[in-house]
Amino acid sequence: MSLEFSEKTKKKIEEIIARYPQKEAALLPVLHVTQQEFGFISAVQEKMVAQILGIKPIRVRELVTFYTMLSRESLGKYHIQVCTNLSCHLLGADNFVDYLVEKLGIEPGETTPDKKFTLSKVECLGACERAPCMMINFNYYGEMDPKKVDEILDGLK
Amino acid sequence: MIKIFIDEQQVEVEEGMTVLKAAERAGIHIPHLCYHPAFPPEGSCRMCLVEIEGFPKLELACSTVVKEDMKISIKSARVVEARKAVLEFLLAEHPLDCPICDKAGDCKLQDYYDEYGLFESKFSETKEKREKKLKIGKTLILDQERCILCTRCVRFLKEVTKTQELGVFHRGIDAEVNIYEGAAVLNNYTGNLAQICPVGAITDEDFRFKTRSWFLKEGESICPLCSRGCNILIEYHPGFPRFEVPRRAYRIKARENPEVNGFWVCDRGKYGYSYLEEGRADKIILNKIEGKDVLTWENISEYLGEKIKRVSSAKKTSGIALVLHTWLSNEELFLIHKIFRKGLKVKKIFFADLPQGEADEYLLTSETSPNRRGAQEIGFDIKAVNLDALAKGTDFLLAFGPFLSGLFSLKALKEVLSKVKRKVLISSYLNEVNSLFDIVIPAALIAEKEGSLTNVDGVIQSFKPALEPPGESLPEWKVLADLGKELGTDSKLFEDLNSPGAILGEMGKEIPFFKKK
Repeated sequence: MSLEFSEKTKKKIEEIIARYPQKEAALLPVLHVTQQEFGFISAVQEKMVAQILGIKPIRVRELVTFYTMLSRESLGKYHIQVCTNLSCHLLGADNFVDYLVEKLGIEPGETTPDKKFTLSKVECLGACERAPCMMINFNYYGEMDPKKVDEILDGLK
Repeated sequence: MIKIFIDEQQVEVEEGMTVLKAAERAGIHIPHLCYHPAFPPEGSCRMCLVEIEGFPKLELACSTVVKEDMKISIKSARVVEARKAVLEFLLAEHPLDCPICDKAGDCKLQDYYDEYGLFESKFSETKEKREKKLKIGKTLILDQERCILCTRCVRFLKEVTKTQELGVFHRGIDAEVNIYEGAAVLNNYTGNLAQICPVGAITDEDFRFKTRSWFLKEGESICPLCSRGCNILIEYHPGFPRFEVPRRAYRIKARENPEVNGFWVCDRGKYGYSYLEEGRADKIILNKIEGKDVLTWENISEYLGEKIKRVSSAKKTSGIALVLHTWLSNEELFLIHKIFRKGLKVKKIFFADLPQGEADEYLLTSETSPNRRGAQEIGFDIKAVNLDALAKGTDFLLAFGPFLSGLFSLKALKEVLSKVKRKVLISSYLNEVNSLFDIVIPAALIAEKEGSLTNVDGVIQSFKPALEPPGESLPEWKVLADLGKELGTDSKLFEDLNSPGAILGEMGKEIPFFKKK
């Protein structure tokens, strides 16, 4: 399988690389862009990134497997990450996860068959003042309850 | 220089040094696993924690830089307790399969546990199951359960070979060292990985399950397989040949020498040690001899001297020819030069060495013998063997080494050598060419004798015997020194040249290159 970055992403990657004195330093932001484009980073993407940055694919693999925000498998269009750490837990994060499991029909770590939603349980999102909270892709949603979640999910196309 | 105190002992150290290095310089060992002197400090194993007066927490000896009047404690109760705790965590996921581990007896984790651990583990959970024999290179086996993630191997492949075949994947309890999608560790320095692994995570099939490390003794030597002259340790079985073990040398390890090979040895030097025992000649072979029936090391130089004298007085010295090689030490080549080239004015001197090989960009050179530079510095014109020139008008041939057979066919050699009246070979090996010589004298190898070699960069390195020479083999320098006396060209001088050290001293007087700096 030979894949290529889109022209838009290529340009973005060039911009990112230009920010750093060394190409390798751009690895993490480039990985985020790559994940945005392909939805995940498998061996093919690792090699593409390695080639652009002039490093070995093994270095890319080290980072991809270390960071939980980088996924090696295909995610749904919307990645729902629910915090289950202390503050959120005390304010009912577990019930909230149960509600999502029931609503979406998938367990945490799974993706809906229509590839629209992926549900994950995560550690602290750093928004305790808005517990229980969640992230959908890069947007934060706080003080969640079933009604609010219905509104948000129904609003997503 | 500044002064620091390690457990109340005052030590003078260079400014900018780390605590660990300073202690090591003073002969004090601070336990460590991830730190290796070839690399910058990593600080991941936490074994080297020490207490420093004025610092609220324990500090890492491998990365803390010394300051004037620093008071360091490496044995305080706090430090010992910390070491114990660190060991408990390192061992929490370690399989403790020491009885079947190849590293046992040679393992720093085992040693430290013996010294600082000896606790009942508080971890009752089942240990994670991981890969136990992952083949990651030509002869390397990775056991992920034993790995303590010190990353020495990863750093070696990143910083020394720059090939980066190993990486650390995942994190936390899932973290593991591995190769990338079946791309094995393939470079010319893989053997060093088994040596720098402080535990039994990377073991070497070349050594694995062949013997136990505590049976082995080690001898210092110099690798003769190229002209770099890497410093090595030969690990051998001291029981050989008293009781049945299949071989004596079991493993080659790199020996530190920053000037020549750093901490490393290439795979040719690491695994190519079969030359130490395969096909060795251990008895004097007499194919054709007149007069005496018995020839021993005691009378061999007398015998050679007589033959040489007879030829040289009758036909001058055009009747003598020599075949040398550059596995001979500086001292041996010097004696040959002195006796034959300068003394007897022999002109027919040829060199028979193995053909050149591939060099890599690091330690391995294209020269396949250890002392070509030494031969040049002594004043030899290194000419390849020309069989016709060698045999023409030759009555006496003295040849060294087994390499003629690789250079010419046996048939061609037989045809030419049959024209030479007397021929003597001094060689360490049983070889097809041996049958063509009247006498074959077994010689010791570099690992079995004393002397010095000049490496490709002109570094003169002395070596002592690491192993016993087999059977009747003796070093060439000895027979040459005796021969010098016998021939009487400068017998008073040869009287004094009774050790390689004395010969090297004489060389220094005659050749400025060999003068002690």
